[in-house]
Amino acid sequence: MTNDTLANQLAGLSVRLLHRLAKNRVPRHFRMGKNRLIQTLLSLSPEQQADLETHLSSLLQAHPRVPQPPKHGKGDKPKHEPNVVSRPALPPQPSVPAKPAISLQALLEGIGVPPPQSFKPDDWQQEAIDRLTTNDVILSVPTGSGKTYVAIEAMRRAIKADRMVIYTSPLKALSNTKLTEFSQTFGADQVGILTGDRRDNPQAPILIMTTEILRNLLYDAASGEIDMRLDTLGLIILDESQFLADRERGVVWEETIIFCPAQARLLLLSASIGNPDEIAAWISSIRSESCHLIQHRNRSVLLRAAYLDPGGKLAPFFRTRDIARGRGFALHPETKRLFANYEEQTLSPRSKR
Amino acid sequence: MPPAIHPVDLLRVLRHQRLTPAIVFLTSRRACDEAIGSFEHRQLPIPPTRSSAITDVLDHMIAEYPSIADHPLIPTVQRYGVAAHHAGHLPSWKIAVEELMRQGCLDAVFATTTLAAGVDFPARTVVITQSSVRKDRDIVELTVNEIQQLAGRGGRRGKDYVGFVVVTPSPYIDLGPIANGLTNHPEPIDSQFVVSYPMVLNLLKAHSIDHIQPILEKSFAQFQLNQRTDAYETKLDDVEAQLETYGQRECADWIAQWQSFSLAKKRRSHHRRKTQHDPPEISAQLAFLTPGRAVELSKDYAIVLRQYRSRGQGAPMLTVIRSSGRIVEYPASAVTAVIDEVIDVTEARRFPWCTPQSLEHAVTTLEQFPARLRRLPIRVDPNGADNPILTETLMDEFPCPTCPSRPACQKDHPQALKLRQEEHRLTKTIHALRTELWHRFQQHIEVLQKFGYLTPACQLTSEGDWARLIRINHSLLITELIRMGAFEGISASLLAGVLASIAHDDDRPASFAGRQQALISTLGQVRKIAHSLSAYEEPPLLRLDVAAIVDRWIAEPTLPWSELIHATTMAEGDIYRLLARTLEYLSQLHGLRSTHPGLADIARDAMDLMRRDVLQELP
Ligand SMILES: Nc1ncnc2c1ncn2[C@@H]1O[C@H](COP(=O)(O)OP(=O)(O)OP(=O)(O)O)[C@@H](O)[C@H]1O
Ligand SMILES: [Mg+2]
Repeated sequence: MTNDTLANQLAGLSVRLLHRLAKNRVPRHFRMGKNRLIQTLLSLSPEQQADLETHLSSLLQAHPRVPQPPKHGKGDKPKHEPNVVSRPALPPQPSVPAKPAISLQALLEGIGVPPPQSFKPDDWQQEAIDRLTTNDVILSVPTGSGKTYVAIEAMRRAIKADRMVIYTSPLKALSNTKLTEFSQTFGADQVGILTGDRRDNPQAPILIMTTEILRNLLYDAASGEIDMRLDTLGLIILDESQFLADRERGVVWEETIIFCPAQARLLLLSASIGNPDEIAAWISSIRSESCHLIQHRNRSVLLRAAYLDPGGKLAPFFRTRDIARGRGFALHPETKRLFANYEEQTLSPRSKR
Repeated sequence: MPPAIHPVDLLRVLRHQRLTPAIVFLTSRRACDEAIGSFEHRQLPIPPTRSSAITDVLDHMIAEYPSIADHPLIPTVQRYGVAAHHAGHLPSWKIAVEELMRQGCLDAVFATTTLAAGVDFPARTVVITQSSVRKDRDIVELTVNEIQQLAGRGGRRGKDYVGFVVVTPSPYIDLGPIANGLTNHPEPIDSQFVVSYPMVLNLLKAHSIDHIQPILEKSFAQFQLNQRTDAYETKLDDVEAQLETYGQRECADWIAQWQSFSLAKKRRSHHRRKTQHDPPEISAQLAFLTPGRAVELSKDYAIVLRQYRSRGQGAPMLTVIRSSGRIVEYPASAVTAVIDEVIDVTEARRFPWCTPQSLEHAVTTLEQFPARLRRLPIRVDPNGADNPILTETLMDEFPCPTCPSRPACQKDHPQALKLRQEEHRLTKTIHALRTELWHRFQQHIEVLQKFGYLTPACQLTSEGDWARLIRINHSLLITELIRMGAFEGISASLLAGVLASIAHDDDRPASFAGRQQALISTLGQVRKIAHSLSAYEEPPLLRLDVAAIVDRWIAEPTLPWSELIHATTMAEGDIYRLLARTLEYLSQLHGLRSTHPGLADIARDAMDLMRRDVLQELP
């Protein structure tokens, strides 16, 4: 087999299979990404390579091409590897090599605690709250932006209008945190929690539960045997709605959205995902009111990246101070040097004891 | 150089650069615990004022959650201002750590990357030490979404001007994926819709069968399928427009007409040469055995890649791909049934007779096939259209030889036929995509009918009416066990033990001393039944050790929590989750009180006995 064909075949494999191939052939293969795995496999000695090819063909037989995850299969996971192919290999070509790389000092500038400020909602927060009076809303903003504020204000409005609110989270642990948080805001008598086997304060206007419990309630309501006041339900908040893509539980989010009572507004809180517009279009297509998408990628607190060498040396991770979005990346020369050095020392056979 | 920085050195650097508090994501629970442990050997204490602040918060938390009072990590937390937070811990402990973090008492929390979703608190800095994670036995790269979820915890609104991601190498790191994850756009998410038995029962309880399809069409799954369909429809429009350009011919369907005419011609010459001809049931099938067709071969499904005739005998042969991924040759007579499914296969002229994409598509389709698929009924023409004499007379019946369109037909036919086939294939694909969910729903209906939960008219039987209330995994197994009376007169602890072993789907090894005979024999029976249902529902793990843990917790109502966790190698947090999950399953059985009062009572008893100690602290 020529090197090119081999390279092509390897490129067609999933990272998972590449790791299998690399096992016992490449030291510390598990640390490598796809491109480097391929490079390393291609640089094996001729005898090793012959052996590799045999293994490869048997793997290809067992997994003819990379079996892509079936879209709706039961027993497989949603593996997202679309970036594998397009990802620039290491070392990447700096897209704009003109500017000098940032210094560590400049990277670490400005650390500190800002003085307390009076709270002023962001525009997107206000927009979300206002939109909710007439529309469903999906909020897809970075982690830690302040989605909870929107949830709380929407709850406040619903309660004022004598409507009930259901708030769901994917994990019981998060439900408990929210119970504490909402009880502090609204008073303990205003917030209840339902779990599979327990109901605490189920008459409260705000009810916290996992999404599964809500789905079950909606099924009971559909068959007309319900001891809950779903007709007064004004708002359903689904936190962490990116769970829609969870292999095992995602279907529960779909069921909940499909069966959400028509008079209740839906508020989906989600971390940044690639296609919130698609989800908004879907919800709009099945609900009486259109679903309004509020989305941004700007972090409310600046985020910078650094590299820390095991020897204790710190360096900027990228050439630029801020993390660029969607325009490729350029690692800082110092980080490249430190990492190459680390690789050399820990990957070379000598250091393997 | 060490393969990774020592946790104490890491914290020293972070403190020095004012990068604390930090969340340090590590590869495993053990790595987190060891990191905390290592502080005991390399002294790096915090000032006493901070220690006492931690003690104050902890005292507050202990008042609310007594179970953490004797937590072995407390001294470390007080002395060094660091803590571990992962799924092996009790929820109450995790709440305490989160509270300490929120109050700004800690310098670092060591957490596992796998439970990043449960880490719902921010810090100034996030430390990332890996670019891939272990998932079921494989190592997979972190997705952009995952990396951004981790990194997103860096920088607290209102408390930081700027947040940091610190990348530090470990044996599980490559910088490329991390840099990509930090800078790239997150991936789109896809529907993971699955049809389940409880879904079918609950929908049919509330809606008649005629209303189901419109409901399924409201799913995100269908929304995404429709988008794929739209793409195919555009293609179909294009193909149809091309077909239009051929204009009017003498006969309405000239492509089919010319096709049969040329086939008949070929067959005549073929039969002159060869005496052997295909039996009628084979020749009836052959028309359907085109590339992309799903067939049944003995007990397995396969997809046809090409049809050809063997060199010597001229017997009809097939090249197929089986679900194992193997490409195999078979005589057409080996096909035991033609399935009513055709997938999109782009043919190729050489082995494997189609494009790699099609091959991939075929394998994934085969993997997804449910146990039973609809067969295509095939009508065999008793007269045997293959009779050479008949072919002769057929020849006379074709108008083609003397038709004025003949030259045009002859010229256009090859291209037109390709278009026509493409048209058929697209139409079928579109149909398949539109009805996919409905098909899967119908398959579940058939199973539920077979077991007597649904009437032939798709209404709930009396059994189905209560079975719909069991809305958990392995619902079919559980309802079948109930119907068989497997739980009649069972003790509360045994019932809970069995449900625990059905609920627990983690195969992380653990051991537990003190198993008992009753549990072994009951689980043996359950395993048999689960196995007999395996064509319809994936059997649960049915681990004896987890059943024994739950059984003991209920059978010995005075057993303290600490003793239970000492009897097993399972982590405290895992046992807690196991018991909590069992409670959920029990409460579903308790929900059957109007039809199964005896069973509901046992479930109630089990729940009452379970909820004590740690299990009472949180809702
Ligand atoms: N407009 C605002 N101005 C200043 N601070 C704000 C504003 N909105 C929210 N915050 C603060 O931002 C922090 C993060 O908010 P929150 O927990 O709601 O984030 P989130 O979007 O829910 O994040 P996650 O993705 O982690 O769930 C909170 O401490 C909150 O008080
Ligand atoms: Mg949140």
